[in-house]
Amino acid sequence: MDWVFLSELAINGALTGLLYSLFAIGLVLIYKASSVPNLAQGGLTMVGAYVVLALARDVGLPLWLAIPLAAVVMFGLGFGIERVALRRLAGRPVVMILMLTLGLDIFLRGTTLAIWGGTSRSMELGVSYDPLFLGDIFISRIHLVGAGVALVLFVAFMLFFRTRTGIKLRAIADDYMASWSVGISVERGVGFSWALASVVAVAAGVIWGEIQGVDQALSLLLLKGLTVAVLGGLDSILGAVIAGIILGVVENVGADFLDPLVGGGSRELIVAAVLILTVMIRPHGLFGRHDIERV
Amino acid sequence: MQEKKVEAQNILSMNSVEVLYDNVMLAIKGVSVQVPTGGMIALLGSNGAGKSTTLKAISGLLKAERGRISRGEITFQGADITEALAQKRVEMGICHVIEGRRVFEHLTPDENLTAAAPHGMSRSTLNAEKDKIYGYFPRLAERKNSQAGYLSGGEQQMLAIGRALVTQPKLLMLDEPSLGLAPFLVEEIFGILQKINKDEGLSVLLVEQNALAALEIVSQGYLIENGRVVMHGTAEALKSNSDIQEFYLGGGETDFHNVKHYSRRKRWLS
Repeated sequence: MDWVFLSELAINGALTGLLYSLFAIGLVLIYKASSVPNLAQGGLTMVGAYVVLALARDVGLPLWLAIPLAAVVMFGLGFGIERVALRRLAGRPVVMILMLTLGLDIFLRGTTLAIWGGTSRSMELGVSYDPLFLGDIFISRIHLVGAGVALVLFVAFMLFFRTRTGIKLRAIADDYMASWSVGISVERGVGFSWALASVVAVAAGVIWGEIQGVDQALSLLLLKGLTVAVLGGLDSILGAVIAGIILGVVENVGADFLDPLVGGGSRELIVAAVLILTVMIRPHGLFGRHDIERV
Repeated sequence: MQEKKVEAQNILSMNSVEVLYDNVMLAIKGVSVQVPTGGMIALLGSNGAGKSTTLKAISGLLKAERGRISRGEITFQGADITEALAQKRVEMGICHVIEGRRVFEHLTPDENLTAAAPHGMSRSTLNAEKDKIYGYFPRLAERKNSQAGYLSGGEQQMLAIGRALVTQPKLLMLDEPSLGLAPFLVEEIFGILQKINKDEGLSVLLVEQNALAALEIVSQGYLIENGRVVMHGTAEALKSNSDIQEFYLGGGETDFHNVKHYSRRKRWLS
């Protein structure tokens, strides 16, 4: 057994996993504030990347300005989605809202296709492609940067959910009616969580856009992001981070063992197996809240 | 002249209010209720009589259940609030402790209180409010950092009331606070309500099926049946009323003959 190779697989898997976490944090934010799994998070991430590119390439702004500006635009978009689409559905069964977010995802994909076409555009962040060696282990710099961004957001949101606004958002997720009864603006809270998730989508869109190019395929990150969020427990940011690392390592190491046996393509199988097994064995995920039943 | 004076004495006045759910089902059919400033009033009646709907009409929570006020008006401190948003009404000082306690289960009791803090309330005011609430309900103080979902029923009811008090209401409305609680807890909670009413001059509108307990602490009561007010009087008058005794206080005989006799004597008040 080659231990250096195995740890290289594990470390790079963990870094990739943190990039899944970066995506999943957006899902968790919305779930934590409204108990809705947002199937449009992939679409938002893709749009986030496109908006950055539009500002950087089409308008010609430098990247350090284009990214924050895109975050502002996306913050507004998140609020707008609540105002235009979700508000009408407040208090309706979750399955209807779920379908709405799915429709939204398709809509966002179609919109980018109409405006920018389907050819992949490249996002150049200026992160060097030179290999970085940790002892004998090769590490990708962009993955390291992305993992750092994920951890910063993780800490920021952990702190945010202890603030008064954060507590109000968690209250909304618990009980809409009770929130209304004490004067919490459920609509504004849900809108705010979508706005924050859209900002996270910009971060995820930029990093993933640099790695795999910016096109409609970015929205397919939803599948891995959702797996991470479910494994972590949907409403736990800590869960999203740890589940991301787990999925990344399992996928990278597992694929190395399985690929020779099945002739490739086992990554997707591993992700699917993790998602299905989580839902079957531990539906609340690793750190998810349980519905409380008192005896 | 006389009427003006009455208006000023009432913090809340509800006049011939009709409520429709889903635009078809008439839930209350012209209910009029007045709450005097600093008073304690009970709405009594059986299940499905329209008591909860009356409270929701006042707090604005009807909208969340696709209900609306189709006729009549509600004024709070002289201002028409018939169409106001629920959030606006909380800001004005109406807080509704909804039925079934409904604490934020995954938050701690302390966070439950924080969640209800009005926009712009300073940290020191919030802490002072919390201390006051923990003073009323010492049990909550003991468990303030555990998960609210695991509190006992009585503690959850206390928390629901405490959470409403954080909004600094002028009118507190409670929907069935005694539901599912042991009699000694009901007594404790009602005693605290009475104390808050006295100490702070908080007006209280209490919805109860447990008429016996409610009539002990309120000054007046309204009896609601089938979406209408059928009786209104002081607590003493209601307690001594033979119909109330029979059907809501559990005394006297209740055979079929009496039921018919009762419904014949019933009169619409509004």
